[in-house]
Amino acid sequence: MMKNINIRQNPQQLLTLFKEFLMIHQGAFHRGRKPATRGQWVLSVGLLLLSLLPWQASADIPLPLGMTLRGFGTLGLARSSTDQAAFIRDLSQPEGIVDRWSAKFDSLLGLQANLQLADPVEAVAQVVSRYHSDGTYQPELMWGFLKFDPNASLSWRLGRVGTEFYMLSDSRLVGYSYVTVRPSHDYFGGLPYSYVDGADVLVTLPLGEGLARGKLVEGLARENVPATGGQFNLNRSQMLGGYLDYQIGSWQWRLGYSQLRFHNELPALLKLDSALEATGLPSVQSLVSALSTSGTLAQYYSFGTVYDRGPLQVQLMFSQTRYETASLENEWAGYWLGSYRLGKITPFAGFSWSQTSSKSLETGLPPVPRLAPLNAAVASAMHNARSDQHTFTLGTRWDFYHNLALKAQWDGIRGQPDSVRSYRDEQPDWSGHMDVFSLTLDFVF
Amino acid sequence: MKPFLSSLIWVLLNWPSLLYAGGPLVVVIHPGSSVETLSREEVINIFLGRYRQLPSGLLAQPVDQPAGQKASFYKLLVGKELPEINAYWSRLVFSGKTKPPQQARDLAEVIQWVNSLPGAIGYMEADQVDSRVKVALKLN
Repeated sequence: MMKNINIRQNPQQLLTLFKEFLMIHQGAFHRGRKPATRGQWVLSVGLLLLSLLPWQASADIPLPLGMTLRGFGTLGLARSSTDQAAFIRDLSQPEGIVDRWSAKFDSLLGLQANLQLADPVEAVAQVVSRYHSDGTYQPELMWGFLKFDPNASLSWRLGRVGTEFYMLSDSRLVGYSYVTVRPSHDYFGGLPYSYVDGADVLVTLPLGEGLARGKLVEGLARENVPATGGQFNLNRSQMLGGYLDYQIGSWQWRLGYSQLRFHNELPALLKLDSALEATGLPSVQSLVSALSTSGTLAQYYSFGTVYDRGPLQVQLMFSQTRYETASLENEWAGYWLGSYRLGKITPFAGFSWSQTSSKSLETGLPPVPRLAPLNAAVASAMHNARSDQHTFTLGTRWDFYHNLALKAQWDGIRGQPDSVRSYRDEQPDWSGHMDVFSLTLDFVF
Repeated sequence: MKPFLSSLIWVLLNWPSLLYAGGPLVVVIHPGSSVETLSREEVINIFLGRYRQLPSGLLAQPVDQPAGQKASFYKLLVGKELPEINAYWSRLVFSGKTKPPQQARDLAEVIQWVNSLPGAIGYMEADQVDSRVKVALKLN
């Protein structure tokens, strides 16, 4: 309790610790993107653990002027069974987990400030430091909006808002909020988008014995996605989406739809386009435009259901993604996850899959040896986002202390050798099979 | 066999509240409220931040007791332990949605909150109720 009072009087301490954490990781990853040394990790883990101690007694740290400061984070260790390909948490990560223990890919720290301006108006800003598209831990503004709730049924948000392409996808970084180590790699791994600059509105109304919700969001994407040949810049891609949701008793169902109109080209295409145009063949124009991403639509359809009663929670979700461009394969994905709490221990088991379908495209390139490399390059560009795999997941969460949870998890990925979408650095001997072992400590304060 | 299986499932889903050993808890509202009773579902919606409107049309303003009674309340209401309730709130708070109920430091603060705000809603043990609050639902 004494320690708690200290923090209440001195919230600066929290910010200082956060800065120290960032300095270590920026130092480690900025310069030549080398992995942090063991010493640096021990130091940062120690710092974070130390910094946790005073906070355990309170979820809110009241600051002057009606402001609250809260935070969340994960210290995660993971390794896989192979170096044939590197496992990534989602497409925002430029490198991934191989057969050596690493704390680089799941560890993160988030800070959030809420400021109550007038009674129905609140300002919210959230900054997160995590391993992301440029290979650093440079903090990003994930959320930054004004929220206006004129009554219990209506909520407007204007500014930088998190995306909810799928149910639960707007809290993917808050490990403490879910039972697994990370969101399903097969289901959420294809979503590199965290936020858009725009607005959303949520309507909640009682319907029958339950609650009906509807949400609409519109905005511009800002992020980058590491891709073959450079960064796929999503900046100015327009996002539009929404969902209908019904919750009754222990059940919740949701139908969602989101779309993104890509503003820019995939980096690999820029090179390919100039090679194609250099052939001087008139037929390449239609090929170039079929492969182009700029101005094309990506559509995400989803269905999700959660059954949550007492110690039991079961989630079942499906999604279908359609791309107008021939460069990206359409996808069908889903997962099932069940957990049952026994006191402080919550074992869980899950199954997920991700399956893309290849598109056929008449290249129009004559089958002459001179053009064979180009034909191969087109085929390869069209299979860069191929996924054909399923994953078995087993693990347990242990709520051993207030606001702290330890998790251990095994993922057994069974796929085809051409399943490459959710990996980096695939080697020629990549078999499509991999086991991933993870250990995390999640916390909130 | 079938009745056995369904009772087994029922026990598996309900044991947290079955094992509850404390006294009965009551949900209380402002004594001058036009609301007489609340259903369990309405109380769940208010305390879990799903829909915070009282049947009278007023915005509901929930308040939580300190840890001990808070744990009993959520065990009785939704069969969940505090870490699960904290995990639930961390999802909503860090995705910029609803805020958790106001956190009181003791019973006196709960009574003061419920007595002074027309939309207030709290909970306490049945024998702690006095004229400053009105009982809207009994949980046991």
